[in-house]
Amino acid sequence: LISQGTARRSLILFVLPALVVYLAFAVLPLLLSVIQSLFDSSRDGTSTFIGLANYFYLFTHEVVSARFWNALFNNAKYFAIHVLVEVPIGLLLAAMLTSGALRTSEGVYRTILFIPATLSVVIVGFIWRLIINPLWGIVGFPLLGNAVTALPTISLMGVWQYFGIPMVFLYSALIAIPNDLVEASRIDGASPWRTFWSIKFPLIVPQFGLIVILTFIWTFNGFDLVFALNGSAPGPNYSTDILGTFFYRTFFGSSGQVADLDLGATVATVIFTMMLAVTALYFWLVQRRLRTHML
Amino acid sequence: MRSMGTSFAAMTLGVSLVAMAVPALAQTTLTLGSWRTEDLAVWQDQILPAFNAAHPDIKVEFAPINTNEYNAAIQSQIEGGAGPDLITCRPFDVNNEWIQRGYFASLEGVAALGHFTDTAKAAWTWDGATYCVPVAAVLAGYYYNVDIFNELGLTPPATMAEFTALLQKIKDSGKYEPLALGSAESWQLAYNNLYSFGPAYWKGEEGRLGLIDGSKKITDPEFVAAFQAFADLKQFLPAGQESIAYADMTQLFTLGRAAILPDGSWNINQVTSTGLNVGVFGPPAAEAGGQRYLQEMPDMAIGINAKSANVEAAKVFLDWVAGAEFQQLYVNTAPGFFAMSDQAIKYENKLAQDFANLKTDALLTPRLALDRLSAGTPPLDDEIWRLLQVMYTTDTTAAAATEELQKGLSSWYAPQK
Repeated sequence: LISQGTARRSLILFVLPALVVYLAFAVLPLLLSVIQSLFDSSRDGTSTFIGLANYFYLFTHEVVSARFWNALFNNAKYFAIHVLVEVPIGLLLAAMLTSGALRTSEGVYRTILFIPATLSVVIVGFIWRLIINPLWGIVGFPLLGNAVTALPTISLMGVWQYFGIPMVFLYSALIAIPNDLVEASRIDGASPWRTFWSIKFPLIVPQFGLIVILTFIWTFNGFDLVFALNGSAPGPNYSTDILGTFFYRTFFGSSGQVADLDLGATVATVIFTMMLAVTALYFWLVQRRLRTHML
Repeated sequence: MRSMGTSFAAMTLGVSLVAMAVPALAQTTLTLGSWRTEDLAVWQDQILPAFNAAHPDIKVEFAPINTNEYNAAIQSQIEGGAGPDLITCRPFDVNNEWIQRGYFASLEGVAALGHFTDTAKAAWTWDGATYCVPVAAVLAGYYYNVDIFNELGLTPPATMAEFTALLQKIKDSGKYEPLALGSAESWQLAYNNLYSFGPAYWKGEEGRLGLIDGSKKITDPEFVAAFQAFADLKQFLPAGQESIAYADMTQLFTLGRAAILPDGSWNINQVTSTGLNVGVFGPPAAEAGGQRYLQEMPDMAIGINAKSANVEAAKVFLDWVAGAEFQQLYVNTAPGFFAMSDQAIKYENKLAQDFANLKTDALLTPRLALDRLSAGTPPLDDEIWRLLQVMYTTDTTAAAATEELQKGLSSWYAPQK
């Protein structure tokens, strides 16, 4: 038999490789970025500690703070559209796939519906840009050139690409529901509608909550689709600017904007803190209290 | 044993040959850092052999770095003391920063620098001293479909009023779009449009330098007039222009559906790719008999690393780079690039030669807002892109746009406070 001391030692040994990688490539850069946000680098390569001055600048500078709040607000809209459109579509399709109505073709539909999620964003952006192009496409209205419609248009492209993710996620939760529960409800005379909302949905609420919070993380880390379509200063008039592009512009600079690494680190820290707070709050207040029904 | 003897003999022979060769050549080797990875073959096969024909004692190694990493890589190399002897210089603010960090050796003694005007050297000059020898610039103008012009009996315009009348005629014909122009990509509204015809209003360098030293404001009448001229062109844009991107514009033109494409010289190969009969005209004068201006945007130059051990050899090389032989060679390897010196250069590409001819009797000026005016927050160049796009996608007027630009600039740029 292995003594407790040996067990603990081998436990540490087994955890160590993953821990080292995690610390070196996730925690350390994060900490360095937080530390950098407290410094101001000058031309001769020296850095001076300036406390929270970068944060003060970010939240009070007339132009910079206006762009930041604009990006945050746009990002909230970007998230809202994804949650209100993508997740329900995913749920609907997952429910249809598991309803049994498709019989043997279930696998075919599942595959076809998931294909967009495997495409590159650059391709998705390019195809959609052509489809809605007023010159060559099927829509005469300049959807991407109008400050009101541009962000919803890009969001819906993202929805089109990624609805397969919540679909597959919820699908796997739905097929895990034991058949006898569903059969029992049918014997009791419940309609399919009633069966879904009273039996199946309550059983997958934890997964549903998780996909909502994952969508939050993905959209607030969003960058690629907007960048592929509209570049790093996404117009018109920054109407499609989200936190990812705002950070990119600050940290790497753009055509005319000089890169500011310290301020970029500040922006990154603010985004990270915000996402950490929301996610932690969700897990603490909501997910913890959800219980998978005793089966 | 015998084979060893042979190789020993060969070695002795080799050594003595090298020993004989050394005093004859006494070669200095220079490395040249560049972001033009695509130019490697050109340098090795054409440019460097030409240089060595005149200067066999100086060997130059062309050492390109990936374009996107160039600035960061060259900065860390130079600061670590391992930079190349010769550095390819970015225009304006990046280079101003490099000069102030002391990256460059003085160019004193490079006589051929005299072939360049102050405007040509402006992008690489700080406090009156020039640190890089200009290599190439890009120009901006108007490509036009010669067949459409012939069909409708049109000739390139000399004034802005003629330009507007010409666009109206094309629009009235109902067969073609007058301008292949859209506002989905804001950069080209500035670089290929406002900065192209605008100098006719703000008098090129007079206006540009006036903004830099604070003696002029963007709200001054000449700048507002330029923005107004920009606004006046909106009626000639194709339907749905708000989401027509740069690639769409080029296609609209190359498919023969639009008569005129406001664009840069770098697009020469694309606009002629479909075999279209393409001509080019320069930005018109503001009024009849007025001065013509042309945007000449400095793109690259070469300077000497202050830490190089071979500064004298580097000066010899740069003296050659500033001369006609190099300038002629280089611009013909990449159509769309133009020499910036006052020496006569021949372009083999016909459209490139037409473009170069536009320089005759036009005053040259670089893009308006890239020198100093964009080195703070908000950067003027970015703001101009944004507001030009806003003008084409909403009802914002020239007066309102220029006012917002001036407000942004004077919030941080000391001479404008």
